[in-house]
Amino acid sequence: MLRVSKVVTLAVMMLLPIVGHTDDKDVVDYRQHIMKSLEEQTAALGQILSGAGPAENTVAHMETLALSASVALKAFEAKVPGGAAKPEVWKDWADFSKKMKDFADKSAEMAKIAREQGADQAALHVIEALPCKGCHDVYRDEKKI
Amino acid sequence: MNRSNALPRLVWAGIALAGTLLPISSFADDQDVRDYRAHIMKTMGEQFGALNQIAKGKAAAGDVIAQAEVLSITAGLAKVAFTPKVLGGDAKPEVWDKWDDFSKRLDTLVAAANDVAKAAKQGGVAAVTPKLSSLSCKGCHDDYRVPKK
Repeated sequence: MLRVSKVVTLAVMMLLPIVGHTDDKDVVDYRQHIMKSLEEQTAALGQILSGAGPAENTVAHMETLALSASVALKAFEAKVPGGAAKPEVWKDWADFSKKMKDFADKSAEMAKIAREQGADQAALHVIEALPCKGCHDVYRDEKKI
Repeated sequence: MNRSNALPRLVWAGIALAGTLLPISSFADDQDVRDYRAHIMKTMGEQFGALNQIAKGKAAAGDVIAQAEVLSITAGLAKVAFTPKVLGGDAKPEVWDKWDDFSKRLDTLVAAANDVAKAAKQGGVAAVTPKLSSLSCKGCHDDYRVPKK
């Protein structure tokens, strides 16, 4: 009996990370939280880099952008159209996922440079690390923002 | 700065910064102050929403560490965003009329967010869920945020 109980517990624990989203609205809501957070963070960093925000927060914003970027692709893995995502996200999944992975990798690199070499050096990598428009032009429905 | 011109600013900044130093200046004008604090508060709102979904089993449990960390770091930036006394946006004048109380509540929020981030690293969703109630946005919003219409 004890052994059965342990097996059941183990099975439930193994399934937990998989059983995440409960319905389609949850999927859309969650990816919107991530994308909107990224948008606000990008705007805050943009203010700073254009001399209109507190420069002492630069590294922190780069760090949060990299963290949010690291979970963004996974939020789109469930094929649930809706929100501002165009159907092309899933139709051209190979391209979309490559772009999102590049975004995660390059923003992580920017954050690493910020931590190790400072904000001035990291700022030189911003354009490469945050290629938002290239993806939005193809995969985001601007009318639904 | 609104969302629509965030990216052009980034492009401008990237060009301007090639081979130069990061601007040392802080806010350029009052609207910048309002915009920046709105970005900070909206980021926290989205992060809180994401964490709540994770806690309810409605989003990937594996994201909890990253989401909690973003919330914690962003909460730590909030006081800088509100320190300039610039009225407007969603902030009531009481923010600065009762700065000691407001500031103390922000410190409490930062401590709670740090605690949630630490719990996420140590115990995952199970450790984070009971702590989310300590991030009591409403108490502060009731007193210091202009009600949404």
